[in-house]
Amino acid sequence: MIEFIDIHKAFGSKQVLRGVSLEVKKGEIMFIIGSSGAGKSVLVKHLVGLIRPDAGRVILDGVEVTNLTEEEYYPIRKRCAMVFQNSTLFDSMTLLDNVALPIRKHFKLSLAEARSEAKAKLALVNMEQHAERYPADFGDGMRKKVAIARALTLNPDFVIFDEPTTGIDPISANIVDRLIRDLSDRLGVTSIVVSHDLRSIFGVADRVAMLYKGQLVLDGPPSLYRETDNAIVQQFINGRPQGPMEV
Amino acid sequence: MQALSPSKLLSRFGAAFMAIALDVGGMAVLLYQILRCLVPPRLDGMETWRNLYKVGVKSAPIVVVTAMLTGAIMVIQSGALVAQFDAFGLLGWGAAFATLREVGPIMIGLMFSGRVGANNTAELGTMKVTDQIDALRALAIDPITYLLVPRFIAIVLMMFLLTIVGDLTALVGGAYTGQVLLGVSPSLFASSVIEYITLEDLFNGLFKAFTFGIAIAVVSSHYGMTTSGGAVGVGRSVNNSVVASAVLIFVLDYFITSILH
Repeated sequence: MIEFIDIHKAFGSKQVLRGVSLEVKKGEIMFIIGSSGAGKSVLVKHLVGLIRPDAGRVILDGVEVTNLTEEEYYPIRKRCAMVFQNSTLFDSMTLLDNVALPIRKHFKLSLAEARSEAKAKLALVNMEQHAERYPADFGDGMRKKVAIARALTLNPDFVIFDEPTTGIDPISANIVDRLIRDLSDRLGVTSIVVSHDLRSIFGVADRVAMLYKGQLVLDGPPSLYRETDNAIVQQFINGRPQGPMEV
Repeated sequence: MQALSPSKLLSRFGAAFMAIALDVGGMAVLLYQILRCLVPPRLDGMETWRNLYKVGVKSAPIVVVTAMLTGAIMVIQSGALVAQFDAFGLLGWGAAFATLREVGPIMIGLMFSGRVGANNTAELGTMKVTDQIDALRALAIDPITYLLVPRFIAIVLMMFLLTIVGDLTALVGGAYTGQVLLGVSPSLFASSVIEYITLEDLFNGLFKAFTFGIAIAVVSSHYGMTTSGGAVGVGRSVNNSVVASAVLIFVLDYFITSILH
């Protein structure tokens, strides 16, 4: 289980998180939604130590992981994979070598074995036929699929997806959604998904948390978001330009 | 233009001082982190070979051309004086002394800072602003051992080796120019070098090349890893890296020359 307890974070004078508390249960698919700048990506990066909180605690399976050293975070990061918003593939490597890199670094496998393992991961996202090409040859969507394959190489217990379906065509987005669902159903992987994609939210999420101005507005199953009379939530879900939200 | 008030002037001076202190401190910490990874060696073999090839093999042609012309220029500059005093037997010594001790390491150091250092900063800076460095950390891969140590080894080692290649090439260029312009035979040029140049002259220059290599590697990596602000930030970092490397090369040269002279 993942627990964010009263997390505060500011960058300079800009207060991004103002006391967010959130729990994610084992095997659950938790979507975090909210307008741009609400603090969604900042919150999830606290789990793997890419951002440290000004105040508050992060607990992973009962162990506090709030302010570890960089070396102490490595075992946590092997358990909690992260797929970044802008894919972050390494430009100088082929897609296959991108996916093989963590395998090569963390498992005692030969280069050939690591590559074979990487090809199997690329097949999960239908990209194995492009294995020997470079990231620059592809658009955002296909790069993002490869980044997902790379994140799964360490067989993580938790995966953070930062806007995994943004910029992807509907068919690929469906493949990604199905993959997230399969990870949870078949392997018990816990997923935190930062997303704006309403189709994914109502199709895949077990629970949805909405942030607004660095605070939690609503936390519950997707059906709750249709039923609630919270004006901020309704404006966001229906994409209305007018309403109480400052966009 | 309106004159700055004393308090504003003081505040700007303080900000500039803090920025320099942050850079110097950052570079010192980075050098410590890199050296700590060298004993015992913790680095990625494939990445090291890739960098050795990129830094060494790809820099060799430009180093050879520059060094050849530098040797020739040394002879052209000293040619008139040599002819005036009929001191043709000292031509090799003059060219070699200046090249081995000073001009060779400086020229190759500046070349390296412009070609290799700038490239290193741009590559690391782009990785930083596109979250690729964070992606490495998220994959539990240490960016110091994976990215910086291989680059450090490649730059320091290749700076040292290419200075040897450059020194030899500069002497060949000097000997050839001496024959064409002044009619000094290559054997007379070579005997002058062998008779008057000591191993100390060679090692003095190579020691400089070694320290310049460390400076270029640390400065370029520091500015790359602290890049922020997108494409504009990458450009700014590359500019800072080249300027700081060049200044540091001359500062180090001054102190090493003062101490070893």
